[in-house]
Amino acid sequence: MKTNRAKLSAMVKLGQRGALLASTLCLGGMAQAQTTYNVAGLADFTGPFADIMKDMTGCRRAVLDWWSEEVGKAQGVALRIKDFDTRYDVAQVASLWPGIKSELNPVAVLGVGGADTNALQQRLPSDKVPLVQSTAGYGFAWKGDNWVFNARATYPHEAAAFYVWMQKKSGSPVPLKVGVISSEVSPAYVDIHKGVEKFAKDNPKIIEVVETIYTEAQPTDLTQQVSRLVRKGATVLQVFNNTASVVATRRALQSLGKTNIPIVVSAHNGLLSSGKALGDLSQMDGNFEVYGMAMAAEGATPARDFFEKLRSQYKLQAAYNSACIMGMSQAMLTVRAVENVVKVKGAGGVTGEEVRAALLSTPMPTERSFGLLPNIKFNNDAPFPTSGTAVNIGTVEKGKYKLLEQNVPVPVLNKW
Amino acid sequence: MDPAGVFATSFAKDQALIRTRSQAVALGLFVIALFALPLISEVRWVAIMTSMLITAVVVMGLQINTGLAGQINLGQAAFMGVGAYATALLATKGHLPFWLALPIGGLCAALFGLVFGLTAMRIKGFYLALTTIAAQILFHFFVLNLPAKWLGGSNGITLEPAQFLGFVFNTDTRIYYLCLVVAFIMIAGAYGVARSRHGRIFAAVRDDDVASGMMGINVVRTKVLAFLLGAFYAGIGGGLWAYYVRFVAIDQFTLIHSIWFIAMIIVGGMGSVTGALIGVFVIRTAQETITIVGPSLVENFSFLSGDVVFAVMNIFLGGVIAAFLIFEPRGLMHRWNIVKRSYRMWPYPY
Repeated sequence: MKTNRAKLSAMVKLGQRGALLASTLCLGGMAQAQTTYNVAGLADFTGPFADIMKDMTGCRRAVLDWWSEEVGKAQGVALRIKDFDTRYDVAQVASLWPGIKSELNPVAVLGVGGADTNALQQRLPSDKVPLVQSTAGYGFAWKGDNWVFNARATYPHEAAAFYVWMQKKSGSPVPLKVGVISSEVSPAYVDIHKGVEKFAKDNPKIIEVVETIYTEAQPTDLTQQVSRLVRKGATVLQVFNNTASVVATRRALQSLGKTNIPIVVSAHNGLLSSGKALGDLSQMDGNFEVYGMAMAAEGATPARDFFEKLRSQYKLQAAYNSACIMGMSQAMLTVRAVENVVKVKGAGGVTGEEVRAALLSTPMPTERSFGLLPNIKFNNDAPFPTSGTAVNIGTVEKGKYKLLEQNVPVPVLNKW
Repeated sequence: MDPAGVFATSFAKDQALIRTRSQAVALGLFVIALFALPLISEVRWVAIMTSMLITAVVVMGLQINTGLAGQINLGQAAFMGVGAYATALLATKGHLPFWLALPIGGLCAALFGLVFGLTAMRIKGFYLALTTIAAQILFHFFVLNLPAKWLGGSNGITLEPAQFLGFVFNTDTRIYYLCLVVAFIMIAGAYGVARSRHGRIFAAVRDDDVASGMMGINVVRTKVLAFLLGAFYAGIGGGLWAYYVRFVAIDQFTLIHSIWFIAMIIVGGMGSVTGALIGVFVIRTAQETITIVGPSLVENFSFLSGDVVFAVMNIFLGGVIAAFLIFEPRGLMHRWNIVKRSYRMWPYPY
């Protein structure tokens, strides 16, 4: 009997040890496993932004791969992105989104621009998925309690930062005379010049808008229009539409012999792409670009180093340009938000709602984005940072792209 | 042609849409399938069908205007936009319920269409096409340049979900049913127009407006009516769109959308109500297939990058439409009628 009891006791102990070993192994395995969350990538491979999409989506994906490997692994979380072509068409986004949501159940969606915002902004609060945009913000989206986030302030904010900087640099009390080349083909373009006109009205000592000229979507000749701006005394021309408009404006200034009047452009129609379209970057000598994220300058910067790391270690096949930086920026904002959620809620607690809460509650200092973005702090009043952010200013000198000024503060603007 | 043994013995039977028992059964099953769709399929298909139903209403209007009455219209998206804006304004500023805002929005679009219908009195063909493009540009211009307080300007207009007796159409399934019911009403109306006196007058004016006039048809009135009806359909579609997306902005109603609408009636078959529905189904299915299959191809064939896959697939889609224009310019409905007639005549060749 005793022998049997001893045997039984030994078997129980053995069983207990086995169970302990099994649970230890199992827990160890669990610690190593990563919970995978999906991110939806809206892309425009066949619409107006098809030419920059390969770089943008490639850079988004590489950031998510990097984060999953180097940060998420330790936290037990991986992020997976799936791209969907929307043709930058509101109808396509609207019909595609319910399927994306049911298929992926994404914790965030990365957008291209206005078409995604238009189609989704009303339903994201009930779908509980934040949309992180790559572009600057728009005045028409300046509403509270948002589920759409832009890493950059609005285009008028960025332009205003440039004008404040340039006016101060001129050392003259006379306001800058700005000629605006815009277009009515997109409400976004109209929003930009309306914002700048409002800034001019509120700050008459900084700028005066001499005239806003509307062009067609892809202008080929703007000589007459630019000539009118020159006659009105414009000292700087703002072209935030697209590369074709920049090219036509520059050609007009060349034919009028007024290349001393600088053009200021943004990221999506930047100096490099415009110079390429003109045939030679030196043709953009003396012009400026301004935006609230890293510039694709040559030379070692934290953002460039990070890009090189992605290229060498994470199979990134993209050029280092503003499209890539836009993709990296929005992806970085997203992964850092997920990281903050995991810190608080654990690996199993990542939801769209939590990601949105993290975006709103946790500022992202520039170091956390490797200098891709300035300090970012969202609040519930706007879908973009309205204060405490900054822009960089680039130029072309003797055919070489040059980062002229960094961290130029963005002024506070009134709504327009 | 009808199957052997089926022949009409009265005018009503001759004009009947459903002519055989099997047609009635097929239609019944199809309607049941449409109503059961949200219960048996993923939300993805529900959303795609919603978008198809809205597009079908708009394209149906274009079919009446262009396919039946022969009035070329490249501004259907603008008429849709007018309907969407009017519905949104009536719902937000006028606080009208959706069942009032929607038809009034359609009427606003019809009035806008009427203006361009009046131009059809004097011009036709390419000149009329150009005039309807002007509708597209004027719509854009008015929205952006009138005071933003009126039409929202570049800000667009945001609206709340449609409600009916306290029932809120705020989910994909609910908005699908709303669109389905409205589309049924509008499609029934289109069939009614096509086989009515007006439909025959439209066809007569389309085929020869001079001869029609000499036969006693009021050609001017007919052309204006065609635009009025076509724009009304577009306006109703626009209103549905406004309640679906709950945000309207001008870049949702562009010339490229108008061109797609034209492509749909060409692929389906000009002049046929059923053809318009088939055209919408084929083109939208092709578009959705590209967006669904594309990401999977990119994921599974890593050597293909996204830009290559999507570009190639869209070229393929464009090629299919071009092939239709070359090999079957009368559309799929014509091809279907040939197949049906051959089947019914078999084994005789004619």
